[in-house]
Parts: sequence; C-alpha cells; structure tokens
Amino acid sequence: MKKVIQFTLNGNEVSAELESHKMLLEVLRDTFEMTGTKEGCGQGECGTCTVIIDGVSIKSCLYPVFEVEGKSVTTIEGLVGEGGKLHPIQEAFVEKGGIQCGFCSPGMILSAKALLDETWTPSDNEIKRAISGNLCRCTGYVQIIDSIRDAATRLSNQDPK
Amino acid sequence: MKKFDYYQPESLNEAYRLMEENEGRARYIAGGTDIIWRIKQGVIKADALISLRRIRPLEGITRNGGLTLGSMALFRNIEKDSSIARDYPSLTQAVSILANPQVRNVATVGGNLCNGAPSADSVPPLMVLEAVLTIEGPGGRREVPIGNFFTGPGQSCMDRTEILTQIKIPKKVFNSGSAFLKKGRVSQDIAVVNAAAFLVMEGKICRKCRLAVGAVAPVPLRLTNIEEMVEGREIDPELLDRVGEMVERAVSPITDVRSTENWRRVMSGVLVKRAIQKAHKMVD
Amino acid sequence: MTDYSFIGKEIPRPDAPDKAAGKALYISDLVKPGMLYGKIKYSEHAHAKIKHIDTSKAEKLPGVRAVITGYNTPEIRIGFMKDNFALKKDKVRQFRDEVAAVAATDPEIAQEAVDLIKIEYEELPGVFTPEDALKEGAPLVHEVDPGGRPRKDNLIQLPWKWTEGDVEGAKQESAFIVEDHYQTQRVQQTCMGTAGCIAEFDLQSNLIIYSKTQIPYLAQNDFNQALVAMGLKGKSTRVIVPYLGGSFGTGLDTHGYEYITILLAYRTGRPVKILLSRAEEFSNLSPRQPSKTHIIQGCDKEGRLTFREVNMLLDNGAYTSWGATTPTVMLMPISTLYQVPNFFYNAKIVYTNNTYCQAMRGYGNPQATWAIESNMDQLAEKAGIDALDFRMINRNLPNTESFGFKITTCGLEDCIQSVGEKLKWREKRGKQKNKARGVGMASLFHTGGGCRIYRSDGTGIIMKLDDFGNVSVATGGIEMGQGFNSALAIATAESLGVTPDKVSVVFGDTATCPWDVGTHASRGAYTSCNAAIMAAEKAREKIFNLASEHFMSRVKSVLVKKKKKDPDFQMPDFDFESPRDPSEFELKENTVFLREEPDNPLLRISLGEFLRTAHFRNQGTMIVTEAFYDPNNGMLDPKTGKGNLSATYTWGAQGAEVEVDLETGEIKILNFVSANDVGKVINKQTLMGQFYGAAVMGFGYALSEEYKTDKGRNMNPNFLDYKIFSASDLDFPLHVELIETNDKEGPFGAKGVGEPGLVPTAPAIGNAIYDAIGVRIKSLPITPEKILAALKEKGKR
Repeated sequence: MKKVIQFTLNGNEVSAELESHKMLLEVLRDTFEMTGTKEGCGQGECGTCTVIIDGVSIKSCLYPVFEVEGKSVTTIEGLVGEGGKLHPIQEAFVEKGGIQCGFCSPGMILSAKALLDETWTPSDNEIKRAISGNLCRCTGYVQIIDSIRDAATRLSNQDPK
Repeated sequence: MKKFDYYQPESLNEAYRLMEENEGRARYIAGGTDIIWRIKQGVIKADALISLRRIRPLEGITRNGGLTLGSMALFRNIEKDSSIARDYPSLTQAVSILANPQVRNVATVGGNLCNGAPSADSVPPLMVLEAVLTIEGPGGRREVPIGNFFTGPGQSCMDRTEILTQIKIPKKVFNSGSAFLKKGRVSQDIAVVNAAAFLVMEGKICRKCRLAVGAVAPVPLRLTNIEEMVEGREIDPELLDRVGEMVERAVSPITDVRSTENWRRVMSGVLVKRAIQKAHKMVD
Repeated sequence: MTDYSFIGKEIPRPDAPDKAAGKALYISDLVKPGMLYGKIKYSEHAHAKIKHIDTSKAEKLPGVRAVITGYNTPEIRIGFMKDNFALKKDKVRQFRDEVAAVAATDPEIAQEAVDLIKIEYEELPGVFTPEDALKEGAPLVHEVDPGGRPRKDNLIQLPWKWTEGDVEGAKQESAFIVEDHYQTQRVQQTCMGTAGCIAEFDLQSNLIIYSKTQIPYLAQNDFNQALVAMGLKGKSTRVIVPYLGGSFGTGLDTHGYEYITILLAYRTGRPVKILLSRAEEFSNLSPRQPSKTHIIQGCDKEGRLTFREVNMLLDNGAYTSWGATTPTVMLMPISTLYQVPNFFYNAKIVYTNNTYCQAMRGYGNPQATWAIESNMDQLAEKAGIDALDFRMINRNLPNTESFGFKITTCGLEDCIQSVGEKLKWREKRGKQKNKARGVGMASLFHTGGGCRIYRSDGTGIIMKLDDFGNVSVATGGIEMGQGFNSALAIATAESLGVTPDKVSVVFGDTATCPWDVGTHASRGAYTSCNAAIMAAEKAREKIFNLASEHFMSRVKSVLVKKKKKDPDFQMPDFDFESPRDPSEFELKENTVFLREEPDNPLLRISLGEFLRTAHFRNQGTMIVTEAFYDPNNGMLDPKTGKGNLSATYTWGAQGAEVEVDLETGEIKILNFVSANDVGKVINKQTLMGQFYGAAVMGFGYALSEEYKTDKGRNMNPNFLDYKIFSASDLDFPLHVELIETNDKEGPFGAKGVGEPGLVPTAPAIGNAIYDAIGVRIKSLPITPEKILAALKEKGKR
C-alpha cells in the first residue's frame, strides 16, 4: 500500500508518497537522494545506516518508513551548515583521524551526536557504549574515540549564542 | 524485500479489527528490530504488519508500589529509569547491555518477549522477579505468569490475535537484590548464555531465591529445584559450587554456530553462581 | 636530520571532509541514467552436475531485461590459472558458484526473477578438507585442467618448495628441537562498504566499468580479455574506481560478479549495477586462506636458531585465486624472520569444494607467523631461555642478506625492546601465574619497499600545476581508506615546495591516471610517493628554468606598477638585467624566491602568479611532469626460488598482557603494544590509524573471527554470527610505537605499512596466554571453549 508521509528532514518539511514495505534507509537514499546514510548489512548489526529521529539514534535499515510520519529526522547531510560549514563533530573527526575509508563515518558521527546532545563531558566508557552499535573495520576505534572526545571539547567551548 | 501492508492503529480494538480483517496474512509489530530482519530473510512470511507504536497506553512505565511496564516501553526508557535501577538492578543490567544503543532506542520489552528467543536478555530478570504478563485479545484479557509464557523457541502461549499489553513486577521487598549476567563471543553479542538471580536475605541466610538461565534450553529456564536447595542456607563457596553442578545438569544446551553444548553447559553453572554472588552484593 | 615542513606531522587527510559530510561517493551510491540492477543465482550445492536450467518464468517477469547463464553467454575464464568461469556450466564446485544472473529495472524485481529460475542438479560427493581431497579415489573437483588435459588428483601443481642449507644436518647438530602443528581459520575482510560494480558499453562497444578494485590496470587487462572472449577484440576497457568502503585485499583479483555485470550490460545495452548484499559479501567473496602448518625449529645450546622446517597444507577451495600464491610471501618470514641458517618450506595446495580464497591484509604472513612465533616460544622454553632474550639472540640485523632478501635498515631490536619495556616484561613474564595473567610477544617481517610479485612493481605519477599554484597529482594507486591520498599529497607538497592544501590527488581512472601495478603489498604510498618526488624534482627544474628567464622581469614589472601607484616608493637597486641561473631560486610554501635573499618580500612571487606569467606570453609553456618509479627489487627466480621481493622491509614486534578467567576460559587483554619500524613517518595521524586498525583486525583473527563452513556452506554470513570487535571491546590500552630507521630507498625514508600491523598479533596473544596458564592453543581463533577444554585436559580445573 502507498501513503503520503509528511515529516521533517534535516529541518525541512518534506512529503512523499511511499510504499508500506520500505525501510527509512532506502527512502532516504533513493526517494530523497541522500546517499550519506549507508547500507552496510541491512540487518541492524553494523550501524552504517544510523540516523537520528526525534533526538535518538536509530538504525534506518530496520525502520519501517510509515513510522517516520510527523517526526524529525536528521541525517549526516543535516549536520553540514550554511556554506558547507562542517558541524563541530564532523570537524573533530576530520582533525583527529577518526575517518579512514569513511563508510562507517556518517553513522558513527550521528551516534556521537546523539551522545553529545545529552552530555558534553562523556567518559571514555560512555563514548564506547554510544558507538558500540557502529562497526568500523579500518580505524580500530582509537582515533574515533579521540575525535568524539575532541568534539565534546569543541561543543563545550562553543559560544553559547 | 517482500512487500507488506503497514497499519498503524491507535487503539487495541482497532488493532484486533485489523488483525481479523487480515486474517492469516498479518502479524503485530513492535519496534521491528527482530521481525523486519526475519521478513527480509524470508524466515517470517507476512503480507501485512500491524504496528502497535501508536497505541499510547502500551508505552508507559509506572511505579505503583511495584513496576508495571507497558509492553511497548522502550528499552532505552527502562534503562534510564533510576528507580528501576535502584529496585530491580537485574532488569536495568540486562536492558543496558541488550543489543546496542540504536536498537534500544526503538526495541520494546514486549517485542523482546513475544519474539520468544531463548536468549532474550530481558527474560531472565523478569523471570526471577516473577513478572506477570497481561495478554489481551478480542476474546478478553488474561494474566499469565512469565514462567508459563514461553512454549518453545520463538513460541509463546499467545494466539495470533492476542497482544501482550503489560508486564507487572511485584513490589521490591527489603533485603533483596537481583543481578543479571551475560556471556557473548564479543561484548556486542546475542547471549550465548545469560542468567539472573534474585535473593531475599535474612542476615546471612537466604530466605528466597529465584534463578533463571537463558539460551541453554528451548525456552528460558527457571531453576526451581536449585532455588529450593539454596533457600534456608548461607551463601558460601560450597553452596555455590553445588549450585554450579546442579545447573550444569539442569540445562539442555546445543552446539550451534555460536558455541558448543559443553561450553554453554559449563557457563550456565558459572553464570548462575556469579549472578547469585552479584545479587547478594546488591542486597540493601 | 632534515627539517621537514610537513613530513612527520599530524595532518588531516584531504578526503576526510567529504567523508564526514556524507558526500563521498562509493559504488553503492553511484547511479547512471537508465541503469538496470543485476542479481545473481548461486549454486544450491557444493558439488553437483547442472542438469537443466529453466529461466522461462524469470524471463517473463515484468521489468526483467535479461537472464543469462553459462549456456547463453560466451565462456569467460577467470583467475590467474584460468580455472574459474564467470558463469558456471556443466557443474558447480562450491556453494557460491554463479549459475545464472538477471538484469531488471529494480533490485527487488531482479531478486524475484532470480528466485524464479529453477535449476535441476545431480548432486555429487564433495571433498571438504585437503586431507580428504588427497585421498585415493577422492572425487575430482576439476576433472580437467584449464588446458583440457585430464587431471588425476586434486593437488594443484604450484612450485611452492624452497630450501637453503642443510636442514637434516642442522637437526643433528641442534641441542634443542621443538615440533608442532598449527592451524589458522578462514576470516573475511568485512569491508563496511560491500563489493559491487557498474558496467556500461559506449556506442563503439568499449567498456566502462566502475569497479571496487585495488588493481585498476590489471583489472583493465582482465576485462579486455573478457571482451575478446565476448567477440569484442580490439575494444577497450576504462576502469573507474570510486571511493572504496575498505578493501583489505578483496580488490586484488577480479570476480565473477564483475564479468556477469559486463555480460548483462552488453546483453541489455544499458548500464547495469550489481551490488553485493552483506550475506553475499560473506559467502560469495573470497576470505583469507586458511592453513595447516607442521613446523620444526631447532637451536643450539646458546639459543641460536639452527634450522626451521615448515610444511603446509592449504585448502585452495574450488578455484584458484590469490589464496594459492600466499606461499610466495610466507616464504619471507619462514626463511628470514630471525636469523635462520637452514630452512625448508613446502606448501601443498589442494582443490576442495569449499570457497576459494584470495588476498587479505598480510597475505599469508599472519598464517606463517602464527606458527613460527608460537613455536619460537616453545623452543625458547625448551632451551631454558627467556622468550624475549631468545628473540634478541636471533634478531635480524641491518645490512644483511637472507635467502635473497636484502635487509637494509632493520629496527627489529628496538621494536622488541620497546615491547619489553612497555609491557614491563622483566617484572611480569612468568611471574603472574597465580593470577592467571601473562605477557607474550611476537615479531614481524614484511615487505615495506614495494613487492615484485608481478613482473612490474612500477608506478607512474603525472604532476600538473595550474595558473593558481594548484597541483594535481594523478596516480594509478587507489585510496581505500589507508591514507594513500594523504601521504601522496604530503610527499608532493614537501618535495615540490607547496603546502598540502594546494595538492589534489586524482585517482581511480585508467583513462587519465598513469599506470600502476596495484595497491597491494603495502606498496601504495611507498611507490607513489617516490614517483611523486621524482616528478616534483622535474617540476622544480622546469620552474627554476622559467625563473632564470622570467623571475626578475616579473619582479621589475610589479615594482614599476607599485611605483606608479605610489611615487614615494623607492625602487630597490636590483640587478634586473644579468642572466640568472636556475640554481639561484627556491620554491617553498607556494612561493618562488631568490635563495640569497629568502626574506626579502620584494623578491618573492607566489607560484600561481609566476605560472600565469609563464603561460601568458609568446612561446608559453606549462608545467606538467611525469615519473615512473620502479623499485630496486626483484621477482623470485623460478630456478633458485630466491629474489629480493622488496626494496626494503618493515619490522615490528607486538606484545600482549592477558588475564584468563579459569572458570570460563575467557581471555581479557589488559595491555597491548605494537612497536613498528616504519622507516619514516610521513603523516603521523594516518600512520597511527593504520596500526590501530590493523591491531584490532588482528585481535579478531586471534580471538573472535571465523568464517564457519559446514560441507562447503558458509554458516555465518552476517555480523550477528561473524564477530568483529566493536568499540566496547577495546577496554584496554592499545599503544602504538613508531620507530624510524630512515631507509634510503623509501620516500623521505619511509616504508610501506598498510599490512604489518596485524601480522604478529595472534601469536603475541597466544604466547601471553601460555605464560598465564601454561596452555597453548594451536588453532585460531583462540576461544574460551578451546581454553576450557585445554585447561580441563591439563587437569587444572
């Protein structure tokens, strides 16, 4: 069955007629042509499909798209500001070596964002827990953890306005 | 991916009606993290899914002396509830290491139960806490103690039209403690073995003991004769060793792609022992 | 020591911003107008005759544009022994055999069509271990060889036998000898981005293929051969490589799915994309070669190694790819890790009905080092010598030669000492058994200066400067996440005299990038950076020649303009007329200036501005240079078996402190050190990243990863049951030490380092476990199940 679904995507009101059996991941990639969110396994194990819905991180490969109605979705593209300015978390990943092949990075950055939206002083254990659902084969996680720690500092040092 | 219709009823009655209209072709879906993957694999056939997410009364977590979890309560919310952490630590421990953060943000305790995996992490704590499940359907409502809920791997006593609505846990009693432990191949894993223990102590003597172990039998197991052996005794190393031996004999694990029968057998004994030790430490 | 501007610093990689923003495009993101989607039908048996294929229902499904099988397409033979086929005919030899394929307007329809294809098989008995495959009367996996001659058995005739000295004699002279057997499992590369390609033909029937490959030029050659088989002789292939979501060796051969995509594209006249699902990535790509090793080593009373004898049995799987040639690299540690005066190495490779194997990071070295380094500890114990001291006694030294391998720089001693220090070896080794804790170590020796496994080990670079001082460096090498682009940009910047932000790396297109044999064997940055240094030198020469003619006249016109604007400006008394020599000039930080007055602001011109001058004149010129770097190394001589495969070698040592839970058998890593002779650090950030990543991959190899197979069927084709480490498994410190030996062959002294970081990880852990509990596990992965079983046998429980 098809239904017109309205939701907020990276701050913009969007709507599309969508099929009931589709998961949010393919809708983001195909219908909205936002290829930043990746399919690494389609099974909810690798985390490369992570997006944020209403402030919490979820795996979009297992998220029935009808459920997104009325909700606010943030993808990796949504973190990039005007003029292509990277979000502090993205900047931290760039500066601190948190990215190698980059395939896990969008999902990893969003899991980091979900954590850092809750606290700017996460412990290393909290950081590891927050990204425990995001697999990476390249980095061995060390520089990803460094990046998230650095991102936390950047966010706390930001001008409050 | 096989095609399916997707309905989003806002009340139980609407859900029953949709299930009746789609007889034979529909299933209920909660968070979806288990069922969607199995549909993708072709293991489950469903031409229609009836989502329970919009049925508001199912979401809540209520402290009312005891604890009532709506079946659609998210693991994330259970994990963050400090009163649950204080009063029912085994449940918080299980829920906080179940899967990963993204899954915990959408997965529900009811979905975990109805999926019926013998390795379900939420089950051993709910078993030792003697949870009672409320099952509702077009024909009415019934209460089922969790020990009677599972009938086989992936199977429960519910019929296709029924919905699990509540999980009720009795009030915490003084001098009690509970704990949950899990073994996986790496830290992010489905349980190769899991276990929970609940103790009520009177000084050094254990007055009440409840033990459960998962992933080592077709259903999660309550270890009633071992509980009886522990009750009335001091928790000392000799008792714990006996517990370990008895647990090894009580379980019927298999060898599969995850582990061997022998290791699971030995682990069930070790985990139950250690869960008792941990629960003992948590006694207030 | 030279004072470098950029070498050795931590510089964010140039491709990181796009990747952080989700803008980097991988094969899964590419779409072409009118593109069709392909899906493959795989065999339902490990070994069977194909009796009949019925594609009628599939063909009729709306949206299906082509259904192909081995019967309605030209035969394309693949693999270096040409024993494999793009689509299988007559029989299937493994579960992952591609029997048919569909192209349709969307992937769901294509999959539905694949499910509608019905194939009738006659099952045949299969062989699933090399031992069974070698038994008398065992069913033949291949009845004929690629030349059509009947085969008599399943043994593959490859010349993997090497020896030096007198092993038998050395056995007699040894004071201590230890013999044992070691096994390693299949593991999968598990790139986060799965494999795939898009193929399309232009109007002249030339092929363009977007490929997830590490070998664009060798692949181009393979695909050209396929075109010949398709009756398209003389047509060409262009290989385009997008960002790879990891590769780790998967891109070192061409695969059935690529040829199938090409066939579907040709049949339909449309671009066709095949993208492997995660399950296909596990089951239908090739994992790391498993191994069974019989090793004997001996030493004299003083602990000096006298000989090393290694016999290996390798399960080749049903077809031959780069799993079968791992012995050529295993030869390196077997003959040369530590000073080994006499050695013998023989590897037998056998066809079975299991999955065939290919390259994976380390390429045989992890398998060989597992056996060698575990056995070294055993020998040390027998000789009554501490395991670290034993390694020091036998350590390799710089400027020596071993079986044709010319060791130039060698930091092994420093690496071993570093591990000993960081692990507090003297305090802990043998002293924590009461806590079931132990420390262990292992070393590595790997190629670090290219690797001549093909006749070429060469790499070309084209360097192009534009009017704005921007530098494009075109390379045939591939960025797969290892930091190749970054290293190349930095090496270019440093050697040319510009800043790294001015350098953009152009890669991944055989039409525009110069030839490179392949990004394998840790050779990428090593060869490309050396070529870039050569090309940069040529560019500097051109720039300084230009400067000798035009620099002062440009300075003069700038000053004249300035005077016009500001009459008070004092014209400096420069000599504008005398001819200048190119050697008077320098280029640094994007600025050309006179060497004798480096700080005079009036005698500096930005490179961009200067180049505009060069272009915009009569008889103008451009700055484009090229260089082809081919390292000073050699192939293994077919007669002697010897050859200096690499221009320099990488060395390292790793050490672990572990604690074993005696009740569960679980191993907890408490501390881990990876110390590496890297020659010279080019980009510290990416270098550390390679070693962290490799170590964690090594942990998986040692402890948790296993491609499980039951009578040829892959039993765990998903992350639920194929366990790689997540961040929450890293609950211990992981130290990486970088030791610089400044090798003169390497770019700025650097060695290639993509692979070594996981070579000794498993034996370091295995040796630590032995120190902790006196139990040695000889097959990987080391699981709690194996530990408990071994403890039980030892009677400790």
